[in-house]
This record gives sequence, C-alpha cells and structure tokens, in this order.
Amino acid sequence: DRALSGPTSYIHSGMLQARTTDVVDTDGFAEKTEHLFRHWVYTYHNEMNGRDPVKYFGSFVNRMNFLGVLKGDEQLTKFFTIATKMCIEASYRNLADTTITQAIAKTKTYHWIDAYVRLIALLVRHSGDGSNSNTKLNLLNKVLGIVVGILLQDQEQLHGANFQQFGYQRIFIMLFLELSAHDAILENISVGVVTAFCHTYHMLRPANAPGFCYAWLELISNRVFLGRILAMIPQQKGWFMYSQLLIDLFKYLAPFLRNAELAKPVTVLYKGTLRVLLVLLHDFPEFLCDYHFGFCDVIPPNCIQMRNLILSAYPRNMRLPDPFTPNLKVSTLADITTPPRICTNYTAAIQPASFKKDLDSYLKQRAPVTFFAELKRNLQISNEPGSRYNIPLMNALVLYVGTQAIAHIRLKNQVPSKQTVASSAHMDIFQNLAVDSDNEGRYLFLNAIANQLRYPNSHTHYFSCTLLYLFHETNSEAIQEQITRVLLERLIVNRPHPWGLLITFIELIKNPEYEFWKHDFVHCAPEIEKLFESVARSCMVKTNN
Amino acid sequence: GVAPLGQLTLQKEHQIQFQLMEATFYHMPQPCDSERLRNYLQRQPVQTPPHYPQQQLPHSDTFEFFQRLSTETLFFIFYYMEGTKAQYLAAKALKKQSWRFHTKYMMWFQRHEEPKIINEEYEQGTYIYFDYEKWGQRKKEGFTFEYKYLEDRDLN
Repeated sequence: DRALSGPTSYIHSGMLQARTTDVVDTDGFAEKTEHLFRHWVYTYHNEMNGRDPVKYFGSFVNRMNFLGVLKGDEQLTKFFTIATKMCIEASYRNLADTTITQAIAKTKTYHWIDAYVRLIALLVRHSGDGSNSNTKLNLLNKVLGIVVGILLQDQEQLHGANFQQFGYQRIFIMLFLELSAHDAILENISVGVVTAFCHTYHMLRPANAPGFCYAWLELISNRVFLGRILAMIPQQKGWFMYSQLLIDLFKYLAPFLRNAELAKPVTVLYKGTLRVLLVLLHDFPEFLCDYHFGFCDVIPPNCIQMRNLILSAYPRNMRLPDPFTPNLKVSTLADITTPPRICTNYTAAIQPASFKKDLDSYLKQRAPVTFFAELKRNLQISNEPGSRYNIPLMNALVLYVGTQAIAHIRLKNQVPSKQTVASSAHMDIFQNLAVDSDNEGRYLFLNAIANQLRYPNSHTHYFSCTLLYLFHETNSEAIQEQITRVLLERLIVNRPHPWGLLITFIELIKNPEYEFWKHDFVHCAPEIEKLFESVARSCMVKTNN
Repeated sequence: GVAPLGQLTLQKEHQIQFQLMEATFYHMPQPCDSERLRNYLQRQPVQTPPHYPQQQLPHSDTFEFFQRLSTETLFFIFYYMEGTKAQYLAAKALKKQSWRFHTKYMMWFQRHEEPKIINEEYEQGTYIYFDYEKWGQRKKEGFTFEYKYLEDRDLN
C-alpha cells in the first residue's frame, strides 16, 4: 500500500528474507555468529558495563569482518536474523523457567535485548561515512524489517496463542530511544528514523499482528515517539504518518466497537485509545483538527465520546465564545468566515469518476433530476441492514457539497445563513438525502453533517445553518426527530462537547421559530421529557438572569 | 450499550483477531518494558489501599522540591536511581549545598573548614564525605582533593 522504493523497500526485503532464511547451517556460519553475538552481550554487561562501548565496538567490528558478516547483504541479514532470534528465544526460555519470578525472567531477557539494541544503534551510526545518511537508514530499515518478519512468523506459525509481545516491544522501544539520543550524526537522520519506525509500526498494525496490539499501542503512544513525530520534525511532516497509525488503530477497533459488546480485551484497548486521544487533544489539538475527517470516516457512528474528543479540538490560539452567552450572535464572529484546514483528501473518496462529474454538473446546472437516482445507486452498496451505505462516500459527499455551497454563497457576496443556504443545487442534494433515504441512510447523512459542527469556522457555520434549515423546512416528524437524536446523543455523553454542536442545539431549543417543544417526540416518554428539560435548564439558565 | 446500525456478525478474520488479542491480554505490557533497566529499585506494582496516596506530590519533579530533601535522601537518589532525571536533580541540589563529586572515589565531599592549601592543582584540608559503602557521613583530615577528579560540569 506504499510505494516500494527507497528505505521502505529495505524493510520489505528484510522482512521477506527473515521469513525465508534457512536454519540449515552448512558452513558453520550460524554457529560462529551465535558465538560472536553471545560474546558481544557478555562484553556489553561485564567489561564495559554499558558505558563507553565505542572502543569495544571497534574490535567487535573487526571480528564481524573476520567472520565475513560485513561481506555482503546475505551475511548481514543472516547475522541480524540469528541475533534477533537469540534474543526472542531468550524471552521464551526465561519465561518458561519456573525457578525464577517473571520480573527476573524479564530482566534476564533485557540483558540480551539491550545489548543487541546498542549494537544495532552503533552499527547504524557508524555505517557509511559520517555524512552518508542513506547507508545508515537503509541498514536501519533492513534490521527493522527483519524483526517484523520474525515477529509475524512467530505469531502465525511458531507460538500462535502463546505468542509473547514483550521481547519485540523492548527491541523497538529501546532502539528508538537509542537513536533519539543527543548526537549530531543521529540528529541528522532523525526524520528518516521516525519514518522507518512509522513504516514498521504500520506493518505491525493490530489487524496484521493482533497478538502484538497492546505493545503496539504502547509503542505508538510512547512519550518520546509522540514528541518526535508530532513536535520535533519540522513543518509537521510527521503528522500525516501519525494519522495513518491512528487510523490503523480505529479501523481495527471498529468491528468490535460497533456492536457495543465490549469484551475485556477490547475494553482495555479502547480505554488506551481514549487516553491517547486525550493526550492529543491536550497537547496537539491542531493535529486532531487537521485530520478529523479521516478519523471520523473510520470510527463507528455509535462511538460518540471517541468522536467528540476529536471534534472538540480547536486551534490553541483561538478563543471560543461561551455557547451559553445570551443572544450570542454567531454570524458576527470573525472566525466563521475562515475555512478549517482539512488534511484528508476527501474529494478522492467521491468515486467513480463519472459520478463525481455528474455531481459537479448538477451543482452547476441544478439538472437533470435523474441525478438523484444515480446518487442513491452510488450510496447504497448492499441490502444488508446496518451496512447498506457507503459511509466514506456519504461523508465525502456531504463535506464536498458543503464546501461548494459555501463558495457559491460567497460568490454572490453573501454569508451562509438560514436564508442563503436555501434553494440551491446544494440544498437540493441535502434535502433529497434527508427526505428520500431510509432511517439508516438519514442517520448516516445527519451524522456526516454533525461531524462538521466543531470550533468557529466557515464549515461549522454553514452546516449549523443547514441542519437548522432542514429541521425547519420539513413537515416530517421523523426527520426532525432524527435531527434531534443525532444532536442529543452527542450531548448526553460526558464532556468534551464540540462548540458548534452546542450552538446548534441551543439555537434549536431556544428559537421559537422551530417550535421545538410542540413536537411529539419531545414528549414521547417521561424520561425523554425530563432529559430535555434538564438540557434546556442548563442551556437557558443564563437567559433568565 | 447501543448499536444504532444494528448488530453485525463478526467476520472470520475478526474472530481470529479477537482470539489472538484475548490470548495476549493475559500478558500485558508493563511500565518496565519500555524503560531502561534499573539495577536497584525495580518497579514492583502492587494494589495499594485507596486511602494511600496513589500518585506523587505535584511538582515533586522540580529542583525546588529536591532542595527541600535531606542530604541523605539526595545521596540515596544519586546512588540508587542512576541515569534518571531524579539523579540529575539530586546532583544539582547537592552541588547547591556545596557538595563536590570526586570522580575517582565516586563520592561526594564537602569542605569542613577552609582548606589549608589551595593551588592550581589541588586543595587540602578537612572534608566531610559520604561513604556509600558504609552509608554514612565521615570526616577526613588532611585530604588532598585533586581538581582533575572534580566533577565540574554545569548542571543546567
């Protein structure tokens, strides 16, 4: 799924080689390598005591040379494969040893791994000449690929359900820390290092290595990793890569979360995910802002709080007016003319190309009406209840039509309002989706709109007006009830709540023109009625003063 | 819980994923897995009663906090928490209290009185030092502190 060129190709070749390397040792190379590596581990702990290994490293490289390890790619791959396997075998052997505690078993394993990791870091640092970063990064990618290959093979064939994640986790985290040290040569290749680890983690995403999922979450949420990828790489070059890892996580969780039957192993992973999102919301809100669309695409509709965490993010330099301020005039806020940054290429999701063409032509000419049949055909992908619709297409369509509508209104020197959003090709499409869809389709459609109700910006403002317009302009109780449902279900969960969502809901229940309180669904059950009253009390409290 | 779109039967691949995840659930990663190996004071997580403090005091990772600790506590942190931020802060606090680290003896020294001799290479006089083997402060008279063994990095 990524171009197989440059450093990435080295990960893949390392991975494939590790999985196919024969253990038949005809020339005694393997045995000598094992001996050599064992010697390194011993020296690392006993003679240099972990300190200043450079002197020992020099003589070790000579020994490697003598053995022919550095002669070519094949020997080098064999060396790393053997060394990695020795570390991992140590982890299983120590854990199986009933005479020692688990803590001691781990410590003994880490003796192997920490020495190995230092060796890798030194080899990477000193490979090629000082300024040649390609050699260093290719070697790193190669080693990472070998570890990935061994991990996948271990989980799929060797140990299966008895797979142990901690040895691999240790290799990755310690190697990353080693390579993040303050060192001019390493700082030179830091972008390449982060990229290499990102590719590695992407290949080990939970869908590929479910037995590694908890360690994987630890790795991608590690303090140093997070700091490097989101803060220290210039020009936010790491943001896209990190968004991919989060999407890997959300995609893996989705089928388990959407059924809302949370077994213990899922709950733990889910809670960890929430914590990562909270950290991101607190420390990198702009990151969540920029990639909210891609995240909402893969988070199941029922994960209200998870999505609220993402939608509540707003740029740190912005001041949000209190939504409960009486007579707050949203249309006068300066921020609502600025479009938010969307870093997901959502237009690309509008497929096939012919449909996109017809969509554009309808938006331009407001004809032909046969377009709506085509719209329906493209959105509905199956007849199975619960998965009838192409959700990413729905989301992309709603955002695309909305942005086109904003541009259209601007062109007429107007600003979005309940009046200006009306009667246009754009609103035709939205009204068609609201009126002609079944409950499932309408629910997804309204959710796609509600996903844009965030901090003050032009999208929030436009979609808020649109949602209120749809509520106002319909005679169908069912549509109004569903609009209320989508808003309410995002507000009755614990905080945080997106600003635009609150604004829209408050307007709906406060402005008499919507006759909100006259609707039957508000009074359908005593507990619902009570709920509305309590929400209303909290929304109205300041107007009464 | 609610599933607004209704229940979906998990696909075969999801069932396999779940089984592997469940198996690994019984050996979760531990904090020590992603930290440098500690020679002393390894983490030993246990359930503590809820009325005991579960977290460190706020701001206990600041230099100001370390300055309020007793000298012995600082020595303990220095020798038993090697390579941590705590060790760094302890060293900084000890330096502030006029303790000087001797890189040959690996011990901290403090002048007991004005040195009798001070020249370019060394100073000589009576010193208090902390003996980490006997774990206590000792006095040494007529000790020569050679400056080449003085740890003089700026801890900032």
